[in-house]
Amino acid sequence: MSFGSRIRNALGASAPTVLLVAGMAAAQAQSAASPERLELCATCHGPGGNSKTEKIPSLAGQPEFFLLNSLVLIREGVRKVEPMEPFMKDMKDDEIQALATYFAAQKPERTDEPIDRAQAQRGAQLADPRHCTSCHKPDLSGEQTAPRLAGQRADYILDALRAYRDNTRLGGDPAMSSAAQGLSDADIVALANYAASK
Amino acid sequence: MLMSAMHFRFAALLAAGLVMAPGIASAQQPAVPDVAKQAERSKQSPNLRGVPISPIAAGADKLPISRFKLPPGFSVEVWQAGIAGARTMLLGPKGTMFVGTQGLGRVYAIVTRDGKHEVKTIAHGLNMPNGLAMKDGALIVVANKNVYRFDNIEDNLDNPKPVDISEKFNLPGDRSHGWRYVAFGPDGKLYIPVGAPCNICEPNYNTHSHIRRYDADGANMEIIAKGVRNTVGFDWHPVTGELWFTDNGRDWAGNEGPEDEFNRLPKGKEGAFFGFPYCHANGIADPDIKRPDACKDVILPAVTTGPHSASLGVHWYTGDMFPAEYKNAAFIARRGSWNRDRKFGSDLAVVRVAGNGMGKATLTPFMTGLLDEQRNEHMVRLVLPYQMPDGSLLVSDEQNGAIYRITYKSQRAAVTQH
Ligand code: HEC
Ligand code: HEC
Repeated sequence: MSFGSRIRNALGASAPTVLLVAGMAAAQAQSAASPERLELCATCHGPGGNSKTEKIPSLAGQPEFFLLNSLVLIREGVRKVEPMEPFMKDMKDDEIQALATYFAAQKPERTDEPIDRAQAQRGAQLADPRHCTSCHKPDLSGEQTAPRLAGQRADYILDALRAYRDNTRLGGDPAMSSAAQGLSDADIVALANYAASK
Repeated sequence: MLMSAMHFRFAALLAAGLVMAPGIASAQQPAVPDVAKQAERSKQSPNLRGVPISPIAAGADKLPISRFKLPPGFSVEVWQAGIAGARTMLLGPKGTMFVGTQGLGRVYAIVTRDGKHEVKTIAHGLNMPNGLAMKDGALIVVANKNVYRFDNIEDNLDNPKPVDISEKFNLPGDRSHGWRYVAFGPDGKLYIPVGAPCNICEPNYNTHSHIRRYDADGANMEIIAKGVRNTVGFDWHPVTGELWFTDNGRDWAGNEGPEDEFNRLPKGKEGAFFGFPYCHANGIADPDIKRPDACKDVILPAVTTGPHSASLGVHWYTGDMFPAEYKNAAFIARRGSWNRDRKFGSDLAVVRVAGNGMGKATLTPFMTGLLDEQRNEHMVRLVLPYQMPDGSLLVSDEQNGAIYRITYKSQRAAVTQH
């Protein structure tokens, strides 16, 4: 966390930039994401937001609201993503909105990691009573606050689930922390294989 | 750095189904809820889920204030827009309005200069800093398991220096129901609730599902109410001095309830039991967690506050601006339902209690029009009503990042003015 006076977009946000109402109708981004910025994102998240790098999530085809919310939380330092800190720190709401719009519109590819079918099957059985699909959709393509899991990197999903279970991933909807309570490390491996395989 | 430091052979590990180093298992491990089964039994759509809160505030011109409805003589205006995630409010003795948030992690300070507001972000990156309290010029921020004290805050808004006093409070770090409303009581103690770490489970009452109080420095913790699922608002009755608190009913047990609660902790009953998880609302036994005589020795609510209404902040009105019938009545912000097929709640309600706070309590909606019935959508999510020194009432709207101000002018006066 950090402390210090920042007048920043406390007031600035009321400038006529972006509005998200209860319905979460896709907000009109007034500016498009700049090519330099997108190139920077691609160095870690892969071209078009399809990651080939261990433990770095794909962004392509994620729900716009999830991307917007995650980027704001990363900027605020609620969700700690150190490698992104230098350029996120002072990013304006408009640009965040433009990046969210861009990556939501990219075509998701599936991860190139090997998937263990037996693990994936066990994962499906674990997922059923926990109802992962009620929030992440039956095809795990995600919706609103709930990210796409289908085709996401399994090594990243594994880390994310551990962080939710241990209450160390902060900022997002606490419903996900509840969904991960009581999972063993072995369960998490199975669920990661299952989700990535969809 | 991050990538090279973390070059594990994850693909291989995943394929082999190997387990990573054992994680720190959470202390509380409620049984896995089968939402699909629960939803089938409760006849609710299994796809119900929390309504997203925008991390970006709506512009002042976009607030749906023209649709709000109030009793005759009352009006509502925008007091401040552009404060993303605004929830808890607290007015400092020197006139600074502090505003806490939940997921967004910010604490704001709003100062008024020459009649104009200036909004500063005095802390950010915190874990659900919903809890704000003030004593001897120090602002106390309770953010999940962390407690920070900002001494002499109103003279240091541009250079706030927190002292981390978390250790003495030793609060649990569950994210589930882990956002806290806190307040100093008339006894000078700091009251902090710890919700159940689940929708429905048998909690350990020593660590969860209760309201506790401490000395200001974190010493002498006492549990003063048990069997509380999740309270996000309380206040002391202006006449009796008794603690009244809201409590949110469980999910996935039907569209019609169990209803949320407004509870009274009678004087001398400190430590009393309020029923969770066995007995809900006005005496409904839980369908999952059963015990004989589910409601035995349970203090039932003074009044129920509607199914899944998300009754949060409470403020007993003591001002002179509103008509006499509002004196010593409680305003309750009902943030509005998620676990209900037809959305419900989403208003500011008023609870009147007969017999100087000892008799029957009745609830009436006060400010409505916040729910778009046609689209089945909340337009606004109210969190806390807060009385200002002039007797006007502020209320925070987390969804739009705004604070509204409600005032009253007797109709007779209004007519003669025109
Ligand atoms: C130096 C590497 C790096 C760069 C450059 C980078 N990121 Fe990231 N990003 C990461 C890592 C690592 C994570 C995952 C952290 C974790 O495990 O939670 C992440 C996570 C994210 C997430 C959360 C995704 C999810 O599924 O939870 C979003 C959104 C994101 N980045 C967007 C961006 C955007 C947009 C850019 C370009 C402006 C960018 N990143 C540039 C390393 C990077
Ligand atoms: C009640 C709704 C809900 C349920 C049930 C649920 N999730 Fe989630 N999940 C979410 C939300 C909301 C988020 C985003 C939270 C955030 O912003 O940090 C999320 C995030 C995730 C992420 C992080 C992905 C990323 O890109 O960062 C993973 C992995 C995940 N969920 C897996 C699962 C699995 C596996 C299950 C079933 C065991 C499950 N979820 C059940 C709502 C849910």
